Amino acid sequence: MRYDVTTGPIDARELEAVVTHPGAGAICTFSGTVRDNARGQSVTHLDYEAYAEMAVPQMRKIGDEIKQRWPAARVAMAHRTGKLEIGEVSVVVSVSCPHRHEAFEACRWGIDRLKESVPIWKKEHAADGTFWIEGEETKPAIG
Amino acid sequence: MAFMAVAIAVRVRFFARLRELAGNETEALQVPPGSRLEDVYETLRGKHAALPLRESVRAALNQEFADWSTVVQDGDEVAFVPPVSGGL
Repeated sequence: MRYDVTTGPIDARELEAVVTHPGAGAICTFSGTVRDNARGQSVTHLDYEAYAEMAVPQMRKIGDEIKQRWPAARVAMAHRTGKLEIGEVSVVVSVSCPHRHEAFEACRWGIDRLKESVPIWKKEHAADGTFWIEGEETKPAIG
Repeated sequence: MAFMAVAIAVRVRFFARLRELAGNETEALQVPPGSRLEDVYETLRGKHAALPLRESVRAALNQEFADWSTVVQDGDEVAFVPPVSGGL
């Protein structure tokens, strides 16, 4: 198991190496990448900010919940912070399981929970301004 | 007569949009013993008028999300955070 908040690039293969083992027949890895548009506007780059001392334990909690639901699962998660350019990887969740169906399910459940409950925020630099993305809401940034 | 503290000290942290609105990442705050997280936040709103209403904020106590009615203790780390990114 591995849970990281990092300012450097994330290598999904490294997380897969953490979860792979001889009893696992499937590894499902989700990578979130920086998209060049939002709300019909072009996006130039993103800034991610984390409450890192809380984010890592929250990720671990999600990993533990995955293992309660899918006992054979192994989990690794990483989220990047700071300035990210278009196409760069912001988040990776990798889950291994004996079979593919449970690997897909557990990975999807993990990224959905991460988005809801891990204290990391996205500031979007777009053609029409700079915004904090707070769930469904988009709010103008000051800085 | 037993000694009674007149104030306790908490360390406050703001993140993301709240950090920008408060103009501060962190601050030390003294509050009366028995103060709840909501009292701490309202005290801060008195100092930083731009901070939003509590309805759009979540509180964390010592790095766990916590209810607004939770009583703070001397030395606690209190954080006020916006809703997390979500994302589609």
